[in-house]
Amino acid sequence: MLSLNEARTYFERYQDLIPDFEGFLAHLKEPLPLYFRINELKCPRPQIVLDGLARQGVKAEPVPGFPGFYRAEPRDFPLGSTEEYYLGYIYPMTISSALPVFALEPEPGEYILDMCAAPGSKTTQIAQASQDRAIIVANDRRLDRLTALVANLKRLGVACVMTTLYRGEQFPFGVPFDKVLVDAPCSGEGRYRQGYEGELLYQKEGHTNLPAIQKGLLVRAFDLVKVGGVVVYSTCTFNPEENELVVDYLLRKRQAEVIPCDYLLPHHPGVTEWEGKILHPSLNYAARFYPHETNSVGFFVIKLRRLA
Amino acid sequence: MAKKRRKKIHKDAKWPRVVSFEERDEVLSFWEERFGIPKNVFGGYLILSTSKNYWLFAAPEEIKPFQMLKVQTVGLLFTRRVSHWLKPTSTALQRFGHHATKNIVVLSPAELDRLRRERKMPFIVEHIEEGYVILKCGEKIWGCGLYAKGSLISFLP
Repeated sequence: MLSLNEARTYFERYQDLIPDFEGFLAHLKEPLPLYFRINELKCPRPQIVLDGLARQGVKAEPVPGFPGFYRAEPRDFPLGSTEEYYLGYIYPMTISSALPVFALEPEPGEYILDMCAAPGSKTTQIAQASQDRAIIVANDRRLDRLTALVANLKRLGVACVMTTLYRGEQFPFGVPFDKVLVDAPCSGEGRYRQGYEGELLYQKEGHTNLPAIQKGLLVRAFDLVKVGGVVVYSTCTFNPEENELVVDYLLRKRQAEVIPCDYLLPHHPGVTEWEGKILHPSLNYAARFYPHETNSVGFFVIKLRRLA
Repeated sequence: MAKKRRKKIHKDAKWPRVVSFEERDEVLSFWEERFGIPKNVFGGYLILSTSKNYWLFAAPEEIKPFQMLKVQTVGLLFTRRVSHWLKPTSTALQRFGHHATKNIVVLSPAELDRLRRERKMPFIVEHIEEGYVILKCGEKIWGCGLYAKGSLISFLP
């Protein structure tokens, strides 16, 4: 468990990476704002949700540039016990976590694999973005997590998703996927802040070799997508070993190109050099999001196209 | 009170079968006749079947490659076969019920509260045929109920 007063020592290695490092450390003491997404597949009118929450003392403001996303006050309000939640009208989700799906740009009719899908925030976001018309395979390797995903699919009334229980790196070939999302398991440094002190996966699981797992997932995702198809790789961590170095590994092994993306949250280019190692130059098209600049969770997102 | 346990999904679930045209028509005719929901609302969807359940799933151009996958669930639980009857699921009604034109029971918040608490209450209403009904409160569709013999029974989860 990493306590907040040890945060400076822990994050020191990213001092040159994180802009306004002191501002970042100060921001970790603030709780995460509460955001939610409206599910227009079920909710007849957004105003119903806003009025319903207002009656319970919740003020919700739309997030500019994030259609369907709202920021709610007070931020400790238990959205999960409201009738709007029960009826599947809302999905609590932080805004930076919506970015990988924005990069994916799902379209009706596309075959999409969400490789590490549970508990389904991005799966259901993909379903909504395609008006429930993309064919989505939501995969997760753990049955308990998949059960939570299935419950969310049911709650949100999504019909375009099938669920599978494979190890991502062994997901079988055969479906010509147009797009694959790899929202990889990661150390979760971007989520770290007061109230989340114990959540760093490195700390929790000790010897888990996350970069090795992430490389395995990304290479498989690339091999599963059809030529010309898109892979989006994302994590909620700062560590270049789990981000740029993983993608660098793919760029050396396979014929892929990095596609630049526009985002409506402040972000910084991916690193092209880390601890003396020179990385692929196109990694500067990756996007790094920091919590003190986005008022959300720290994120890394990169969009890749399969060339051959 | 013990916490309600989430139903576990079955680890060795099989791919559901795609229903025949006749069976699809039977299920969609039920929705049309009972609730006035036109069949074309479900136009882009396949209907799949496991033993007594019908599932709605967005229709891919070709389903064969997906059938090679070992799946846990496919699509949205849509309709169940209960003895000789078809019964809509609450989750499907919440999703598609706003297309309905009949057999909608509009409850006041107090009536809905009572029904959710007691599961069954005396209820008389005109213009509603006996059988499965859509439970609505304000603009919100809550799901499936059964209206019969002067009573309303809740099938809300």
